Amino acid sequence: MSAYRSCQTIRSTSFAACVFTCLSTLSYLNVLAAAEVKESKQLFREYCIDCHEGSHSEGNLDLSALQTKNSFDALLIFENIATGKMPPAGADSPSDGERRKMLSWLAGQQPEPKRNSFRRISRHEFVHSVNDLLGTKLNLSDQIPEDRGTYDFDSDRRIQLSREVLGSYFTVADTMLDSAFPPKGFANEQTWVTNKLKDSNEAYKILLRDYEEGVLFSWTRANNGNSYSFFYDNFDPPVAGWYDLTFEAAKVGEFEEDISIQVHAGKYYYADDRPQPQRLLDVISLGNRELKTYTIRVFLKPGENVSVHCYSKHNWRQKSPKQGAYIRQLRARGPVLDQWPPSRYGKLFGDLPIKTSGNPKGEQGTDRSNAQSLAHASGYQSNVQRIGGSISVSSFQPGMEKEKMQDGSSRTFWHTRFEPTLAKPPHFVIIENPRAVEIAGLSYSTWSGGNGNGQIKKYSILVSDDGQIWSEPIISGELEVQLANEQSILFPNLQTNRYIKFLITDAKTLDGRSLASIGKLDVVVSTNREVARTEVAVDSDSPDALTHVVKRFAQRAFSTQLTEAELTPYIELAQKSLHEHGEFVRAAKLGFKAVICSPRFLMAPGEHSGSAHSQAASLARTLWLSVPDSELLSAAADSSSSELTKALLRSQIHRMLVDKQSDRMIKSFCDQWLNLRSWNKVSPSLKLYPKYDDLLHHYLPLETQSYLAYLIRENMPVGHLIDSDYTFLNQRLAQHYGIDGVIGQHLRKVSFGSEVPRGGLLTMGSVLKVTTDGFDTSPILRGAWVSKNIVGTPISPPPETVKAIEPEHGVAAKTLREQIEQHKNNATCYACHKNIDPYGFALENFDSTGQWRVKYRVEKPHRGTFQFRLEGYFLKGGAVDSSGEISDRRFDDAFGLKKLLLSDQRRVGYNFAKKFFEYANGYAPDLPQRLALLAMIAEKPDKCRMKDIVTNVLVYSLSEKSHE
Amino acid sequence: MSDSNRRDFLKFGAALPVAMNAIAARASERPPTDPPKRIMFICNSLGFYEPNFFPAERGNLASSKYLKDVATNDKMTVFQNLFHPGMETSNHDSEKSFLTGAAKPESPNFVNTISVDQVLARHMGGDTRFPFLSFSIYDRGWGCSWNDRGVAIPPMHDESSIFEKLFGKEDLAAKRRQLKTDQQIIRSLHRDMERLRENGDASRMDSYATVVGELEASFRREQFWLETKKPRVPNTLSDDQEFVFSTKIRNLLELAKLAFQTDSTRVITLSLDWIYGAIKVPGATGGWHTLSHHGGKSDVLEKLYRVEIDIMKHLNQFLSGLDGIQEGTGTLLDHTTVVIGSNFGDSSNHTCNNLPTIIAGGGHHHQKHSVLDKPMPLCNLWLELLHKHDIDVGRFGSSQMDQHLLPN
Repeated sequence: MSAYRSCQTIRSTSFAACVFTCLSTLSYLNVLAAAEVKESKQLFREYCIDCHEGSHSEGNLDLSALQTKNSFDALLIFENIATGKMPPAGADSPSDGERRKMLSWLAGQQPEPKRNSFRRISRHEFVHSVNDLLGTKLNLSDQIPEDRGTYDFDSDRRIQLSREVLGSYFTVADTMLDSAFPPKGFANEQTWVTNKLKDSNEAYKILLRDYEEGVLFSWTRANNGNSYSFFYDNFDPPVAGWYDLTFEAAKVGEFEEDISIQVHAGKYYYADDRPQPQRLLDVISLGNRELKTYTIRVFLKPGENVSVHCYSKHNWRQKSPKQGAYIRQLRARGPVLDQWPPSRYGKLFGDLPIKTSGNPKGEQGTDRSNAQSLAHASGYQSNVQRIGGSISVSSFQPGMEKEKMQDGSSRTFWHTRFEPTLAKPPHFVIIENPRAVEIAGLSYSTWSGGNGNGQIKKYSILVSDDGQIWSEPIISGELEVQLANEQSILFPNLQTNRYIKFLITDAKTLDGRSLASIGKLDVVVSTNREVARTEVAVDSDSPDALTHVVKRFAQRAFSTQLTEAELTPYIELAQKSLHEHGEFVRAAKLGFKAVICSPRFLMAPGEHSGSAHSQAASLARTLWLSVPDSELLSAAADSSSSELTKALLRSQIHRMLVDKQSDRMIKSFCDQWLNLRSWNKVSPSLKLYPKYDDLLHHYLPLETQSYLAYLIRENMPVGHLIDSDYTFLNQRLAQHYGIDGVIGQHLRKVSFGSEVPRGGLLTMGSVLKVTTDGFDTSPILRGAWVSKNIVGTPISPPPETVKAIEPEHGVAAKTLREQIEQHKNNATCYACHKNIDPYGFALENFDSTGQWRVKYRVEKPHRGTFQFRLEGYFLKGGAVDSSGEISDRRFDDAFGLKKLLLSDQRRVGYNFAKKFFEYANGYAPDLPQRLALLAMIAEKPDKCRMKDIVTNVLVYSLSEKSHE
Repeated sequence: MSDSNRRDFLKFGAALPVAMNAIAARASERPPTDPPKRIMFICNSLGFYEPNFFPAERGNLASSKYLKDVATNDKMTVFQNLFHPGMETSNHDSEKSFLTGAAKPESPNFVNTISVDQVLARHMGGDTRFPFLSFSIYDRGWGCSWNDRGVAIPPMHDESSIFEKLFGKEDLAAKRRQLKTDQQIIRSLHRDMERLRENGDASRMDSYATVVGELEASFRREQFWLETKKPRVPNTLSDDQEFVFSTKIRNLLELAKLAFQTDSTRVITLSLDWIYGAIKVPGATGGWHTLSHHGGKSDVLEKLYRVEIDIMKHLNQFLSGLDGIQEGTGTLLDHTTVVIGSNFGDSSNHTCNNLPTIIAGGGHHHQKHSVLDKPMPLCNLWLELLHKHDIDVGRFGSSQMDQHLLPN
């Protein structure tokens, strides 16, 4: 078939041109007159049966069943007719009016779908809702098992509640309630000031230096490529909570771009090359050359320390750096409360009197107990010293005394005596604990940087009250040698004995002599660290007041109006506790917990006093993943008719979309629709993509979220999902995409010329990365992603006996296309893959991290152990061929593909509407619903807009629900 | 009191003191030479490369690249020619049916059935702190264990939380208070549900009531076990971050060993899967899933070999570990049936026939290599395992009959 002819054909049978507009007048509830039924059947006979009849039907689809049987799966037929895929190019095609008749008839034929009338709320909805009810901001979703299984959407009604998930709701509810109303009071706010770093490996330590009153950092990554961070000393968060971290910092260097300070929280590692297990808290963008303060509010847990990684491409691995980030000091303050007593007391307990034992918040401008001025910030104190203890050893070599285990560094060390005479075993260390502090175990580090002689392999722990008579070993074990980071030895029980003996029973020896050495040894003090707290109580023992409090909470949580009689089980539960213990808050918490573990709360849509409340609950769940706010609730309460009017629904939806809380919907929808939830599962190869880093990893999905939020909030045309001349970038993303002039790490809208292959979802790094395994791009995976998520072609799994082909780059890169194009040679494969692979081919100019390429990268072996380097380990391989054809229309590359998709922008809009419908309702639309969605998609590209679709889908879903 | 009655008491939580006495009595009755039976199911969900897995020479495990170094190979049988009817070809959803045998797991309206490990847990789980344990490599919410309603049981994946759950210290007083108030809450919820049921959607209430009933039973079980101290064991989990994937497998198997050794549970299921990004094992880095679609290419197969031999190494260490622990007149392995298998026969082509299956330990009469004459439902073997654990059922999943594949 010539290209010319195929273009002609396509134009004439293009995407069901008129179906969308014509359908708008059609109600799916229409009962077709007998004559119309006959006519519709006739149309199928005319346009479809030729190919789809009998045992040799095309695609194994025999449509003669349509004529006779009453039940069949009409979905595929419907979608193919609606999207103009069928009848195929070149065949006689029905007119738009005829298509409409066929679709309506099909919709009428679909049997009533079976689906649950309810669903369990998702873990994200649970945590967000409870946060909003309690005024907390805890991120605890990962404490609840993922229960989505292999379904696309969290809201899927096929997902059933399991005992394990319900059990974790009970547990997480306690965590959240105890965080909101701590049983022992709120930890007092403290301030820490430090410019001292914890010890780190010599290889990296030279990449920073003392500078003015603080430290100047250059940028490095560990030799194995992991992000390398330096940990701050002298700040250990005493309790889990929110802390304000204030960095006083400046950029040092004559370059234009900002330096980013990535602030992490994690467990301190002495940090050789092993990954530092930590999470990114926030990023500070440093453009100023004068000192300035930057404050970020972050959630920290005990056991975590704060670390920084200072990135700019100009200060890579500078020894004794001249350029970089200068951080004068870190001031940490917390745990911070919004006010005293926290505002949630007023919100949940109203005007009831509050009694407190003081004020945990620090005085403005003055620091409490722990505040240390810069001058005193240095000096290491071990836990042994903190508990007033001391250590003694079996012997020591001068210069390698016991103090060397206690100085915070594992490069200095204690060693048993070997000169002039060799100390005989047993070798041991005794720790004295005169105040009988509860000791949970020991932390141990080998000494690093030497030959490893004397590193301990086996040990036993013994205890004694007098230092004379020792117990049997309370625990014995083995330690890993050559592991520079801390290893912990946990005792079976907390020990309060006066003496603890660390008996070395085997150690590494290079020359056969009995030796022992230790880099660091300290006690692990029981984690129940005493923290000064301030108590708060509601000063009331009034049962009526309690009833009122529980009722108000329940009405918000259940988003409905309820009488006290209806709430009896919850109220009585709380009353009983008040009666028994006389503690108002404790009693209320019990009632609250019952409310948020109730089927009324966990099983959507819940129980509502009227449809207006049900609509309000549904809107809040979809757009905010939460419960309605007071405005929405009062709108529901005011609704004189049983339902909210469409106008009111629209105005509420628009208000809610503007509200920041709808960011949750944006994130959640991106995660589910575009599969960005798999984001963290893939790390690009460091050999092929050495420049991929944590910062990029952090910002790539944010680009997509910002973009989608903009499209919806600003009601942009649906075509912008495919292409536009803007996206949301910051300095790091712009560097990645090769776009100049973007300084600073805040995301902003950036426009560019038509030569830039960005704009639209398909060419975003997030999407391009999430469709690979981090090494090779797979046109099949990417093609399937585009096909399913953007174009909306239903994909069936490969038929039996079909061998899978997966692409493989590398040496055979030039045959990549040939491998996949084998699909063409096999009619069975090609029937589906002609609608999948080409989308992927078009994106071949983008590597696994989303960067533009014209040639493939082929991994090059490295000598010896892998050493990270910025230029990576690869050679240029074969050239990329990104051409292809879809429905007989050819394209050369991603630009061409975008044009092609834009010519069918209503199809993209229809697919988006279906996805949003499924996200909101928890099931894929049935055929009558699809007819209604089709009717929402305007014909003219500039009339087909994102906020309109979102709004219409929601209004439609809500009113349809009330008809059920 | 008969065994099954006692189990019912524990399961359904009635008359705990009686059950407790029964347990105490039983504990003193049991001669020390009568160790309990345990069972473990391991699903390597991306399969094993067949030519490396199955012995090239019939009956000779030394002719298999993967099995030749398994130290306990005189206590195992490799089966060839097992399959699941109704999923000869499937996608990765086939893992859902690995232990259930339910057909067409890839269909959109698929509803699963109970998995064999859960049937076993219902019968063997009454005597231990945990009726069963289910592990996976990462948080994905489903694995091989499915309950009687066909709902996925979310596996645990975080090693330190599992260790904590099994062996960690608890504030017993706080835990008791907590269980008491939770039971009060559940009673209130039941009262509310009665009311709602009268004038509402009964199916929704039933669905919740079933689950909350199970939760109540698990609270009672926890309460019962609060009276017994958790076993204390040294934390032998590895911290190696270099090979995260290997470390994870090693640690989960280590936890399984510790759990069996301390009789914390008698049924464990482990799903090994990672269809996402690259993993790093000694000698190779690559996407396990991508590698599994090797298409027969030698350089890909070399990398896949590295991944699979690393998994085999850990399985080997696990089996040897169990075999190194003396128990009664035998070893822990002799009293633990370890099933190692996969939902894929050939994952490169997504086919589910000739599923690689090993039965190790359990004191069975092993035959090293058993090639079945013609394809046989894997559920026949599951049924046989049920019978070997004294569960008197006529069929399981797609089973035809107990073929006595592991003669006594």
